[in-house]
Formats: sequence, C-alpha cells, structure tokens
Amino acid sequence: MKRITIDPITRLEGHGKIEIFLKDDGGVENVYFQVPELRGFEQFCVGRPVEELSQIVTKICGVCPGCHHMASGKAADAVYGVEPPPTAKKLRELFYMAHFVHSHIAHFYALAAPDFVVGPTADPALRNIIGVIEKVGVPIGTEVIKQRRIAQEIQALLGGHQTHVVMNIPGGVRKGLTSDERDDIVKKAEGFVEFSKFSMNLFKDVVLGNQTYLDIILNGPYALKIHSMGLVDANNHVNFYDGKVRVVDTEGNEICKYGPNEYLNFIAEHVEPWSYLKFPYIKAKGWTGFVEGQDSGVYHATPLGRLNAADGMATPIAQEEYEIMYKTLGGKPVHNTLAMHWARLIELIYSAERSLELARDPDITGKELRAPLDNVPSEGVGIVEAQRGTLTHHYWTDEKGIVTKVNIIVGTTNNNAPICMSIKKAAEGLIKKDTEVTEGILNMIEMAFRAYDPCFSCATHSLPGQMRMELVLKDTKGKTIRTIKRS
Amino acid sequence: MSLTQRVLVLGIGNDILTDDGIGPRIVQQLEKETLPSLFAFQTATVGGLEILEMINGYQGVIFIDAIKTRGGVPGTIYHLTPENFDETLHLTNLHDINFLNALKLGKTLQMNMPDKITILAIEIVEDLEFSVDFSPPIREKFPEILQEVREFLKTIE
Repeated sequence: MKRITIDPITRLEGHGKIEIFLKDDGGVENVYFQVPELRGFEQFCVGRPVEELSQIVTKICGVCPGCHHMASGKAADAVYGVEPPPTAKKLRELFYMAHFVHSHIAHFYALAAPDFVVGPTADPALRNIIGVIEKVGVPIGTEVIKQRRIAQEIQALLGGHQTHVVMNIPGGVRKGLTSDERDDIVKKAEGFVEFSKFSMNLFKDVVLGNQTYLDIILNGPYALKIHSMGLVDANNHVNFYDGKVRVVDTEGNEICKYGPNEYLNFIAEHVEPWSYLKFPYIKAKGWTGFVEGQDSGVYHATPLGRLNAADGMATPIAQEEYEIMYKTLGGKPVHNTLAMHWARLIELIYSAERSLELARDPDITGKELRAPLDNVPSEGVGIVEAQRGTLTHHYWTDEKGIVTKVNIIVGTTNNNAPICMSIKKAAEGLIKKDTEVTEGILNMIEMAFRAYDPCFSCATHSLPGQMRMELVLKDTKGKTIRTIKRS
Repeated sequence: MSLTQRVLVLGIGNDILTDDGIGPRIVQQLEKETLPSLFAFQTATVGGLEILEMINGYQGVIFIDAIKTRGGVPGTIYHLTPENFDETLHLTNLHDINFLNALKLGKTLQMNMPDKITILAIEIVEDLEFSVDFSPPIREKFPEILQEVREFLKTIE
C-alpha cells in the first residue's frame, strides 16, 4: 500500500494534514483528514463572569470572531433568562449581516473564484485572487476590497472593534445608533446589495456559462447525499441570527426542528481514535459511520445545508436566486458539494438585503438597548449560524453568574465527517490506477475541502494559511518515491 | 497614521493562547515605552486580506510573529523576508489569501504598499493551550527577546 500525505505545513510541528492511502493498484484505499486540538478552553473560562465570555470567545478564532460573539451573547441572555429589547436584537443582527457580507465576499473572490475564473488545473502561480483580477479587471478587484472594508467598518461602528467585538452584554447591547450613523449605513447597505447582485451575475457568466465548469459542479466527484442543517425563522426561511435549528433528510423531509436549549436531545458527537476533532451526528439516526444516504447520521451545516433545510429566503432578490438555483439543479435538496459556492452567493445577497432592511427599520435608532436582569443566572444556550455552520455555545454558571462549565460546537465541527467524506470521494474519483497525480489533481481534491470554507482556528487551531501542500508518495516500507510540492 | 509614523510594527497572534501571542505582547510593551517616533504600533490576529489595509500607506512594516520549527531553540528570533512568509504562524489565513498574495494584490490594485518588509519570527514552544501566561522557556527569555526587538528597531531609520 502506498501512502500520500498532503501536509500543509511540512516544516512545522503538529497542525493539520490530509493523508491519502493508496492500494497497491494505485486506487484510493482511504483518506484521513486530521487537525490538532486546542486545549484548556473550558478551564480558561471557568471562574469568570459569564458576561466576559462574549469578549474572550472572539479570540478563539480570528476568522469568525463576530459569530462567537453573537452565540456567546445569546447564551449569556439565556443564562440570565432575559430577552433583549427589539432595538438591541436588530442592532446585533445588523452587525451580524455585515460580518456575513465581509466573510462571504472574501471566500468567493479569494478562495472560490480562482478555481473557476482562472481554472481548477491552471498554473498555481496564477490560480489566486490576483489571477482572478487579471481576468475580471482591476476596478472589480478594487470594489472587492472596498466592499469588504465597508462591511468591516459597520462591524467596528456597532461592535466597538471589527475583531475584538465588545457589543453584547446580557440582555442587550452597549451602545445604540444615531440617525446620522444610520443614514450612512443605509447608503453602505445599498452598495452591498448592488455588489452582491454583481457577484452573482459574475458567477453565472463565468461559472455557469462555462460548460466545463458546470460539468465539474454537476458531474464531478463532488456530490454527497447527506442530511442538511440550518437555522430558520418562524416561516422556515433562512436566518443567521435567530430561530430554530431545522434538519432535513436527503429527500428534503424534516427530521427535527429544535430550539437552542434542546440541542443535546438531537445532536450527539462521535469520537474517532485518529482525530482530535469530534464528529457530530443526528441522534435520531445514530452514528452509522462515514456513509451517505437516508439512514446515515451524517449531516452538513453549510450555506447549501442552510438553503436545503429552509423553505426559502426572507428577502426578495435572494428568494428569486434561491428558486433559480434549485430549478437549475433539479429541485431540492441539492447534494452537489460545489453548489455551496452558489448557495454562499445567495446568502451574500440575503445578508446585503437584510442589512438594508434593518438599517431602514425605525427601531434601529431606538433608545432601549438593554432589558433588566431580574433572574438568578444558571444555564443557557445560544445558537447562531456562523458562515461555516451552526454554532452552539452552552454555558453553566453559579447563582452569581460565575461560569462553572462550557460546551461549544463550532460551525466547522458540524462538517467534520462530510469534509472527510468529500475529500475521500474526490480522491477516489480523481486518482485511479496509473493516474499521474499532478498539482492540478491535488487542487481538485482540495476543492472538495475548500467548498466548506472550513476554519479550524476555533474547531482546533488555524492551519497556517492557504493549504500549502506537499504530496508524498511512499511505498509500503515508508520510503518516499516521489514528492510534489505546492506553496 | 501620522506624518511621522512611517514604519508599522505589527504584532500578530492570539494573546490568550500561551506563546502564540508573543507578537502582540511585544508590540503592546513597545507602544507603552516608546516616545512618539517614526513607528506606529498595531496588533492583529490573522494575516491575509485582514492586514492588507493595515499596512497600506506605510513605507515599511515590521511583522512580529510566532514560529515553530523542528528542533528550534525557544526565543530565537529569525529575520525573514516576505519570501519566507509561510513559515510563520499567522502571516497566512486559511479563509482568504497568504501574505505574499495580499502584498501582490495591494500592488495590483495600486494601493500604497510598503517598500521594506521585515518579519521577526520568534521561536515559541506552546500554541495549542489557552493561557494568558507564556510557557516557562518563553517567560524566562521574554526580557531578552524584547530587548533584541528594541535593538533591532534602533537600527531602523
């Protein structure tokens, strides 16, 4: 048996890697995706006032600090048994929509577009955001950076800082919005809507308009028939900030729908000896291994998972695009992994439209920013949709609000099993007997991983960057017979 | 950025992850003790697009980041150039792009990118455990590390 190691940090200790084990005939035997474990977060939190956690958790991850801040803020509300006033909830959601806008823009243009605008097997020196800009033009590149920056500015205004957010306190938020600030955000959100529509049109022209790329999306080794999870509002429309978690099966039928404090009744976590990161699964189905199908316990919580789990989008243009995607791809649910990029752009439009709705809402400049804390604190759960999946924070405190226990299931952890399965399926589809494993094939395997927009900064620890890969072909005695490097 | 602050000293890392936060901790200390000068001080948690706009407009940037190498001596400071960017722990960002591409992107978009970039990468011991304290070897060597960075800044004109 040969062993292929895709190690993004070959000269550094620890951290993540993908290992592909080949059979003697050259086909894929198995694939392992491994990431290390961060230790001691619970101990770090225990003994601190629960209101401190919303600031501490922004440091778990530099990529999605706003998501942790929101889930933590909601968990602290629940610990105190308090519901923030409408203005506070809307300010939080407005911040959160800006967080989605900046993150989804970054993912599409920096990570997804190079594979489709430049090409999945193009020269790796060109297959990056600069190659994308060379194709689409500098003015568009400038607009990408501008819109992303504006989204960060809104977060900084509402949250006190774009990364180290200090917005939420139990029962509400620290500061409100003036009418001048509101007017400025309205203009900026109008810009988001236009830019998100432009990005969708670019995707349609460049990706869907190219038969080769469409074939890769529809017929490449990138489909995974598993269940779908996402937060929905009272109308079963996608919602990132609030609502109930809904899970639908591979045929689109509802398996369960639960409020935050019920999550332990519906989700459990499987442990594998070769991975520090756990594998969440649907409790009603049980852990059935890394298998697809109706009887499997595996689900994904991704942009596509969220759209599959919902009945629609709550804003008009996003809804229109939602209908187009499902009509084009043959109805709901969709199981094509690379359609996550399409779903992510529909979410970008939703975030932009929702930003504008919230900025125009008269409540947004209200003065009631916090509800009084009248209850003895005890235990609470907060759930939001992070860009990378459903994010759950569960805190326990003593009667003074001092933390005694913490449990967090982060977005990417939900997708641990699907990521492993998608990588394996892509490897099996692309590496056959006598296949020459080129850098292009490595990239096409990585595309399966990248579609999830995984972030291990909080699931474990940050992989240091864009997957720097070294593929090592080893014989059965462990002797290296060939190495392919890509930085 | 003031007119006199031409060089950005940017510490990158997570200050609640044991030694991972050595860059930000050094920058915070230097900011406290440095009189107004050509240096501006900032901290960040990740690289990629996040730092592109932070470095825009400066003539020079000195990154202070953590590094882990096999067999490295804790506290050693490596002086690296952008070509070595991916050997440190934070000048890349899985979510978007690596530092070298961020720099190229800035130039492509005609942003005002620094001419001179230096990376001070400090060999650390522990970055997988949550703690506001350094590991014992780094705690012991921190005064020397800080002094070496101070001495380096004195060489910048």
